[in-house]
Amino acid sequence: MVALPGSRGRRVRRPSAREAGTALLFVLPFLLLFAVFRFGPAIAGVVLGFTDYTIGGETGFVGLENFRRLVDDPTFWSALRVTAVFTVLSVPLSMLASLGMAMLTRRAFRGAKLFRSIFFLPVVTSLVLAGVVFTWVFAEGGPWSRAMGAIGLPAGSWLADSVLVIPALVLVSVWSRFGYGMLILLARMQDIPAELEEAALTDGASAWQRFRYVTLPQLRPALFFVAIIETTVSFQVFDMIYVMTGGGPVRSSYSLVYLLYDQGFKYFDLGYASAVGVALFVMTIIVALIQRLTLGREE
Amino acid sequence: MTDTITPPAAPAAEPASRRDRIRRPYRAGHASRGWVVGRTALLVVGAVVTLFPFYAMVVLSFKPTGPVTFPDSLLPWPFSPEAYDQVIGAKSVLRWMWNTVVYSVVSVVGVLLFASMAGYAFAKKRFPGKETMFWSFLAMLMVPYHVTMIPTFIIISELNGVDTYWGMIVPTLANAQAVFLMRQFIASLPDSLFEAARLDGCSEWRVYVSIVLPLIKPILATLGVFVFLWHWNDFLWPLIVGQSLDMRTLTTGIASLQQENVALNMLLAGSVVAFVPIFMAYLIGQRHFQEGVSTTGIKG
Repeated sequence: MVALPGSRGRRVRRPSAREAGTALLFVLPFLLLFAVFRFGPAIAGVVLGFTDYTIGGETGFVGLENFRRLVDDPTFWSALRVTAVFTVLSVPLSMLASLGMAMLTRRAFRGAKLFRSIFFLPVVTSLVLAGVVFTWVFAEGGPWSRAMGAIGLPAGSWLADSVLVIPALVLVSVWSRFGYGMLILLARMQDIPAELEEAALTDGASAWQRFRYVTLPQLRPALFFVAIIETTVSFQVFDMIYVMTGGGPVRSSYSLVYLLYDQGFKYFDLGYASAVGVALFVMTIIVALIQRLTLGREE
Repeated sequence: MTDTITPPAAPAAEPASRRDRIRRPYRAGHASRGWVVGRTALLVVGAVVTLFPFYAMVVLSFKPTGPVTFPDSLLPWPFSPEAYDQVIGAKSVLRWMWNTVVYSVVSVVGVLLFASMAGYAFAKKRFPGKETMFWSFLAMLMVPYHVTMIPTFIIISELNGVDTYWGMIVPTLANAQAVFLMRQFIASLPDSLFEAARLDGCSEWRVYVSIVLPLIKPILATLGVFVFLWHWNDFLWPLIVGQSLDMRTLTTGIASLQQENVALNMLLAGSVVAFVPIFMAYLIGQRHFQEGVSTTGIKG
């Protein structure tokens, strides 16, 4: 079933020892790196969740102790909620912006490329730098607070508000991510056969109908792909929170990866931090399965 | 003068009469006037919103130290480069820049070398354990980075690699996604290209250096650009493994300045210094960035 390209269309013969030997030499450097710094750590990362490992201390297996602690830890539940709310808001919004901008820059008109390049620029910008600027944008008396005040919305600093801090972070996330989804969707749009739209036109379909019944169904796999990537990215949100709020005010923007970082690298409770990592892993798998069953079901 | 100039690609067909034009149905790809105006307006608003933070970053970094209130602060004057003097002179920004260059450039070279070698073997060679290895790479892509990060840190600290360049760089060379892309690209090249050289008695290493590497330049460029980008903007790993002042990168260094409550103009001057190289890379290699995403879906 799995046809690796190298073996395709050749006479079936066993590789000679010499051939296999040289091939392994080519793979070896990467294989060693991978074994030591990915494969090993992935397994160790799960195993550590069942220990009380701390740097320079005694280590022993503690069974499910870390996970019991996790379940009893209000900080974990609050971090889980922050991460979930952030993801639920930022993924659809960012995808909507991606889809909109992809539709707008779809045709090859003068300036289309320039707009695409502008929209992709935040994607290549570090979230630390973005975080520094957006801290100013959202500061009290800054552009965002003035604009919100002008239209009658809360005018204080959104980053200092325990409820509005998440929407503020979501906006930064949408700004930084929509260009990526836009390019993925644009690539897919170029592959949609023109005849499909022409046929719909001949049948008198309106612009909205053509989008709804021709373009959108064709984009389904690409949207699924973007949804998976963006969900993973959102689950792991950390850089901009670290810079913009430090998890505050009072943990109201304290995400799961922030909890993992604090536990592991501030308190050096690496066993507990690993348990948080395992929880993140499980969540990622569950959401990927749900998305596969809903968004991706026709694949 | 002007009447002698004719458009070179003037259509040979008769111009449509007014009635025809009105009757002709709207065709996909032919934009109506209202749509063009609406589209342009939306795009301009989108572009202004997207670019505003960059504008603010640059303008505010050139303000003299002291309180400047919005919206006056968005004007380009008063203009003063003093924040750059301070951030480059008194802070370790140049040292962080150097660290970031080392981290990014060495990683790019390492990832491209090891991934292309492995990708070549996976695409064109047969050896025992090939499929097992390949599927284990694939499975590991499912595991979030943060799970592997903790044991990786333990390994590096046991090997006394904390606060060293190698400790920072070596773990990032185990990039399975790079091997996938390499394998995929090399698999699409015809076997005959390699067979000929092999029949001429070239060693395998020779085939790799003088045949494979030149042929895979496009994927080397695409992947190189992204590996550079990931490392230049990387934050969490440098934050935990490069803790001392002298081993910070631009991202972790600027975050540390921010925690010291350094003045905004200095913070932004540091940000501009960190942004300019990646911006230049984006301007020059824009095609690779955008095509890389479109053709491989590589994560930006």
